[in-house]
Amino acid sequence: MSSNVSSDLVWAITRNNSSYIVKRGPIKDQIIFTREPLSLTNQHTRKHSGLVNEKAVGVQAGESGNVVLITKRNAEKHGNKPASLYNITTFNKHKSNRKIYSAIASAVAKKSYRADLRQAAVARASAIKRSQKPVKATPESKPRGVKAKKAAEGGVSSA
Amino acid sequence: MTTRPTVTIHGADGAPCGNTATLPSVFKAPIRPDIVQKVHTGMAKNKRQPYAVSEKAGHQTSAESWGTGRAVARIPRVSGGGTHRAGQAAFGNQCRSGRMFAPTKVWRKWHVKVNLGQKRFATASALAASAAAPLVQARGHRISTVPELPLVIADSAFSTMNKTRTAIELLKSVGAYQDVTKASKSRKIRAGKGKLRGRRHRQRRGPLVIINPADENAQSVVKSFRNIPGVETASVTSLNLLQLAPGGHLGRFVVWTESAFNALNTVYGTTVTPSELKKDYLLPSNIVSNADIGRLINSAEVQAVVRPAKGGPRQKKGGKAGVLKKNPLRNRQVLLRLNPYAKAFSAQKLGCVKVEKVNERPGKGETFKTIINAD
Repeated sequence: MSSNVSSDLVWAITRNNSSYIVKRGPIKDQIIFTREPLSLTNQHTRKHSGLVNEKAVGVQAGESGNVVLITKRNAEKHGNKPASLYNITTFNKHKSNRKIYSAIASAVAKKSYRADLRQAAVARASAIKRSQKPVKATPESKPRGVKAKKAAEGGVSSA
Repeated sequence: MTTRPTVTIHGADGAPCGNTATLPSVFKAPIRPDIVQKVHTGMAKNKRQPYAVSEKAGHQTSAESWGTGRAVARIPRVSGGGTHRAGQAAFGNQCRSGRMFAPTKVWRKWHVKVNLGQKRFATASALAASAAAPLVQARGHRISTVPELPLVIADSAFSTMNKTRTAIELLKSVGAYQDVTKASKSRKIRAGKGKLRGRRHRQRRGPLVIINPADENAQSVVKSFRNIPGVETASVTSLNLLQLAPGGHLGRFVVWTESAFNALNTVYGTTVTPSELKKDYLLPSNIVSNADIGRLINSAEVQAVVRPAKGGPRQKKGGKAGVLKKNPLRNRQVLLRLNPYAKAFSAQKLGCVKVEKVNERPGKGETFKTIINAD
């Protein structure tokens, strides 16, 4: 970024006006979300904004059960080069959850990258893994009580 | 941060062609969304055409009030008989077929004069914002495949361009076509009467291709790009804020031809050398030379004069506000302040020394009776 642009300025401009903003709820307790890919909590805040911060982390669901970790590269070299700005790591769906979480935790928190985002990054990865599980069909409810049982039996016998 | 940042020039195939250009000064202009918005609202009004309702509308009847005493409102009523219209209220804005409230007039103030200095400031500001990737993304442009902003393309890519097909190929190879796709997919039929008034569709804006009109092939380049949805072309000598910041929002995605990019310093000059094309014009300079506030706050100069941070290790009795209470059982320095002997205690490892059992003591093994009866 050149000297007239900084994280603070970008935040001041995009705070109230950005194509990623999604506002939800009644005005009095409105929540402002963001659709930025590098936002771990989807909240439109200075801390979690992927556009604003020079170091930012995104965790997304990849194809066929993969988990994708996105981090930003050196802002001074790549800040204005959108095609080469991001480091993308894909975790295979066969990798164990614990290994994925520890890999994400170390990539996010070590080398003084964004230690404050470690918990959110792991939590998001965990939520993604959970969402990728096959959905079990809910078992049919058993008849409870004498009346219901009789009704069920009667239905079977009549059929 | 280098003092003279350079910009890679990309060839027709999207790869760097080897040449670079120094970043023109206009890209270091202050980015001021407030000025851009203000100027945009003014400028956007200057293409309006007057409209008004007919002067006679609602007044083409000879209605007169019936006055009081007839148990109806005193509003003018259509005279005569033999038709339903007779006796109906007229003229008032609340009446059916009446005049509207405050009928619009063609002499409304349609246009807004915007000061030239402000217009130029806003244009420079919008140009500077078009080189900041986060602002371009926040405006909604799809630039994830663009190699660099500002995106400058070598003149050789345009020298023989005379087909829209080649223009599309060029946009694809430099990674700008995603934004065109987004614009063309966004085409919707407009809500409301605008449909009937030559504004049938509405769609997003795509890339803005800025060319140098002095180029030989400029006309055919403009023609090649003009049928691509969302893509607009502009001349570097007459840039328009309405194109550089549509809707007053900073960060239009701009594609530069090499010669247009190199012409920027002659068109806008710098903060110290006046522009060659604009009379007495110097680029606005930044009030703060470093926009990174965190770095300013943490600089040695600022830190040298600020009050030391509250909440040091000093232990205050009763726990004063702003002073951090430290647990002496966990924090050794606080422990030593409270109990200086703790140092010797731990240095000599007195806590680990076993208490020796002393077997010999007077009266051991003797009964109580013998002791009390001694002597």
